[in-house]
Amino acid sequence: MNSTNIIETENLTKSYGDFTAVSHLNLHIRKGSVYGFLGPNGAGKSTTMKMFLGLTSPTSGRFQIDGKSYPRNRTAILKDIGSFIEAPSFYGNLTGEENLEIIRRILGLPKTAVADALELVGLTQYKKRLTKKYSLGMKQRLGLAGALIGHPPILILDEPTNGLDPVGIHEIRTLVRSLPEKYDCTVLVSSHLLPEVELMADDIGILNHGRLLFEGTLAELESSARSAGLPTYNLEETFLAMIDADNQKGGGRI
Amino acid sequence: MMTTANTLTLSTLETRKLKRTGYVPAFLGGGLLAAMVPVLNMAVRREIYVSQSGSPFHILMDANWQLMAQLNIFLLVCGACILYHTEYADNGIQRAETLPMKASGLFLGKLCILFCSCLLPLCLETFSLLACCTRYFPKTPGLGAVMLKGMAFELALLLPTAAAMLFLSSLCRNMWMCLGTGVILVFLTSMLRSGNLVLAAVPFAAPYRMLHQFTAGQAGRLLLLSMGEVALFCIIEWIYTKLRRCFQ
Repeated sequence: MNSTNIIETENLTKSYGDFTAVSHLNLHIRKGSVYGFLGPNGAGKSTTMKMFLGLTSPTSGRFQIDGKSYPRNRTAILKDIGSFIEAPSFYGNLTGEENLEIIRRILGLPKTAVADALELVGLTQYKKRLTKKYSLGMKQRLGLAGALIGHPPILILDEPTNGLDPVGIHEIRTLVRSLPEKYDCTVLVSSHLLPEVELMADDIGILNHGRLLFEGTLAELESSARSAGLPTYNLEETFLAMIDADNQKGGGRI
Repeated sequence: MMTTANTLTLSTLETRKLKRTGYVPAFLGGGLLAAMVPVLNMAVRREIYVSQSGSPFHILMDANWQLMAQLNIFLLVCGACILYHTEYADNGIQRAETLPMKASGLFLGKLCILFCSCLLPLCLETFSLLACCTRYFPKTPGLGAVMLKGMAFELALLLPTAAAMLFLSSLCRNMWMCLGTGVILVFLTSMLRSGNLVLAAVPFAAPYRMLHQFTAGQAGRLLLLSMGEVALFCIIEWIYTKLRRCFQ
């Protein structure tokens, strides 16, 4: 494992019967960076993130997170990761504060961590409200608070801006962008909002049909796209052209 | 020692998740209902029972325990469903699984709560039986000890049912599925006769058995079988948790 990378995968593969969701994935996520994970629906982004969190086991291949490997160091890996996967997960019968209190106790964090996390996502005034009565945006923020509580060194965020209004999207983007500098953490973030990723990511990885089409900085993507004759006006154009070219090449499902 | 401490910590956390779920009122209400059975029975048909010879506790158990046990099993079915419904309703289980704790911790914590919850209805039922014994029967020496032994035996026989039902609840994301399956099992197993010791130990059927129906040796074997069943369901859940990761 390269010492500058905090997450590395080696031929990581996940299959369900004859369907391959993630195929021979080799990711390299630099420590202290914001890594934008892009791909169309069903490309395998969430499955990859779930593998990092031990929610699903790889069919083959392996990965290391901060020098620790799965499944031997599962608990140690999870201690270092704050996560938010697909939709917010919470206990609807508890208040926002009570939900975070459970996480705080499991992580062994000081009592102030709950208030800090609520403040960070702007939920302090709603902390006593039952989460089942939260709006979608508030649930999303609570999910983020659960990921951010205790300032973990690694954050895995799957579509964190889903359901947020433009102001909320801006706030979360600014927050994610500031995290590496503020808390010395690494962020792996997936999003369908390509302009958002363009504004917050240092590196990006593009996934299609479970295969990694590109990995590198935005500048490297631009140069790679230019040499391949693809448009380079903005990330969205390049992304769409890249996916289209791959689909036409027959990069369909394995 | 460490594992016990961890399980206790997990149970404390699991208890917090039960706020506003109706879990405690369900056990309290169910326990009170079961405790009312001997009281009402004695109020209506006391002549049949006071004329019988033998230990008052055994007479009352023979007269009422089938219905009381069935209510206890229903309580366990509902309790187990509530325990996992809190996890599945808003996908809280996914959050729990991404936190640094052992995968089997969730099940063990809930199992510990369900075990402790059995004490509430059983205590209420014991008080009710004691009240009936002292109210309607002449004073019997050693009644307290017989009663405690009998109810401790019933507690031990409830545990495999609790473990089995909790395992079933962990399988079903839809609470109505595990609730329905649990209710069907309650009725199916109530038809099993107690003649065969192995059949008597089957989860859902075991709580109907009473200590005085068995010799000391048989009771010991039944208790061992029950403990074995609890361990078996914990192992099955552990294997299921590992396997689930390969398919989800």
